[in-house]
Amino acid sequence: MGSKLPTTLLRRPTLAGAISSTSPPSTNSPRLSSPIIPINQVRHATFVPRHRRPYQFTQLVQLSDGSTYTVRTTSPQALYKSAKDSRNHILWQPSNSSLKNVEVDEAGKLAAFRERYGRAWDADAAPAAGTPEASEAPEKKDEPAAPVTEEVIDPFDSLTDLISGFATQNEKADMSGLSAKEQAKKEKFSKKKK
Amino acid sequence: MLSAPSRGAALLRSSQRVCLQCARTSTTITRAAPLAAGRRYFASAEAVATPPPSSQTPPTQQQTRTKTATSPQQSQSPAYRIKSGIILTRPPLLTREQTPFESAFYLYQKRLNERLTAPFRKDFYFKKDTASDLDWKIKLKERHGVPAKDIGRYNPRGRMAWNDEVLTGSTTSSPENVLEALLADAEARVSEDGEIMAPEERVPVERPVPRKTEADEKNDVRRLDRALDRTLYLVVKREVEVGGKKEAIWGFPTGLVHTEEGLHETTARVLAEAAGVNMNTWIVGRVPVAHQIVQPIEKGEKPEESKEKLFYLEYLKEQADLKARGVKSEQVEERGEKIFYLKGRIMAGQADLKGNKHGYTDFQWLTQEELKEVLPEKTFKSVRNMFDLR
Repeated sequence: MGSKLPTTLLRRPTLAGAISSTSPPSTNSPRLSSPIIPINQVRHATFVPRHRRPYQFTQLVQLSDGSTYTVRTTSPQALYKSAKDSRNHILWQPSNSSLKNVEVDEAGKLAAFRERYGRAWDADAAPAAGTPEASEAPEKKDEPAAPVTEEVIDPFDSLTDLISGFATQNEKADMSGLSAKEQAKKEKFSKKKK
Repeated sequence: MLSAPSRGAALLRSSQRVCLQCARTSTTITRAAPLAAGRRYFASAEAVATPPPSSQTPPTQQQTRTKTATSPQQSQSPAYRIKSGIILTRPPLLTREQTPFESAFYLYQKRLNERLTAPFRKDFYFKKDTASDLDWKIKLKERHGVPAKDIGRYNPRGRMAWNDEVLTGSTTSSPENVLEALLADAEARVSEDGEIMAPEERVPVERPVPRKTEADEKNDVRRLDRALDRTLYLVVKREVEVGGKKEAIWGFPTGLVHTEEGLHETTARVLAEAAGVNMNTWIVGRVPVAHQIVQPIEKGEKPEESKEKLFYLEYLKEQADLKARGVKSEQVEERGEKIFYLKGRIMAGQADLKGNKHGYTDFQWLTQEELKEVLPEKTFKSVRNMFDLR
């Protein structure tokens, strides 16, 4: 099996005899006379095929502002239109106000959520007047053991306080509309809290 | 021994009206002179607003440059005032156009690549007997079986594979041709039902925005969307009286450096004062990219020669101010100016000269070739080394 390898097939007869017989003793070429060169020719490398690369086309890329450039790609599509890129993204176009995040709330779902749970959950809204945590502040003054003091402004410091605050506010506001069972449940809950 | 923050405060308290740079140099020199001298990599003599006392300055310079010294206090003041200017640039938005050599090189590389890559496998990309498959077949037939759209008629595996060079005068390699070929290929030839569309039914692809804009065609030099592949520089106009008649002189916005300001702070201030705040700009660095020295106007100088100086010299404005208020003009000392230009970039917005404090009446966004025509010679020579390649 080893004799069928291309390296063995390519091995030639020794050159040593030929050099010594035909060529005169070479004085000006040190390569032949140097002891590093082996007498028998040796092939350490075999045939290395060229890498197979997929076929590539030239493609025209059109950015969202209409500017174009060409790329080499395997896709046979001639034109690629980009829908979102640096030309219509707020990160790269900070002064373009039309790209800013505008809240679309046609169904009023977000407003309904805010009415129910306040704005403390909004990442970008500061606690405004009328929100639960703002309105409960004066009520908390007369509670001596209240865990939250007025100095706490950041609603993200303690979310548990927010929840409890919401609960206490609710209990005062709409206890009347509840059924007896629910009322009992709420009272139990509030006692537990205290 | 003082702690670091209190040291600066003490300096500020003790010295009356000394700029930060001077205050720093005076202390370091007294405490560790060799160290400070060894560590400085920039010329301090240029930037120091108040020079050493008059005994050190050569008397000849005193005589030539500060001519009207009415009081002994004024004779100590320097012959130059420090100013800072801004060279506001709009970077190129497009890559430059290819040279004929470059486009020829790209075509050569593409044809060479044809010979070296694996052949295109159509079946991998198009499902058999679909509309897109039919579409591809039609287009491939029109290109005489060449899968690539932009290399012209070249078969890398045939008998004529060696013939990969185009003839002289061929436009195959030009970018316009490549663009046209790609756009033509992007056009759908087969409807969604798989029926071949007649030429009049085909919907042409929306063409990309051209390199030349509307502002280019109108040559509107005030707009920022012109010369998209070039750097644009902001220049402003001031109208001065030269020999009795008004003349327009162009230059970069400049302003005096206050003693408590750094160059970059002055630059930002000057830009806001001159061209308004309605711009999204960025001052690239604190180091000046160019400098210019403006000598005071000498007696007997021709008005044509001093035209450029009229754009810059602040004492002329002060004289005019005093004159307007009825004060004698001899009280203003005639001093030259050393102007240090900083580089700025504009990202968005536009210059607005309305109500500017510097008396600029007009502005332009110009390329470097246009700057050469518009700017006075000395100004152009002093700033030309900061220009970008294009």
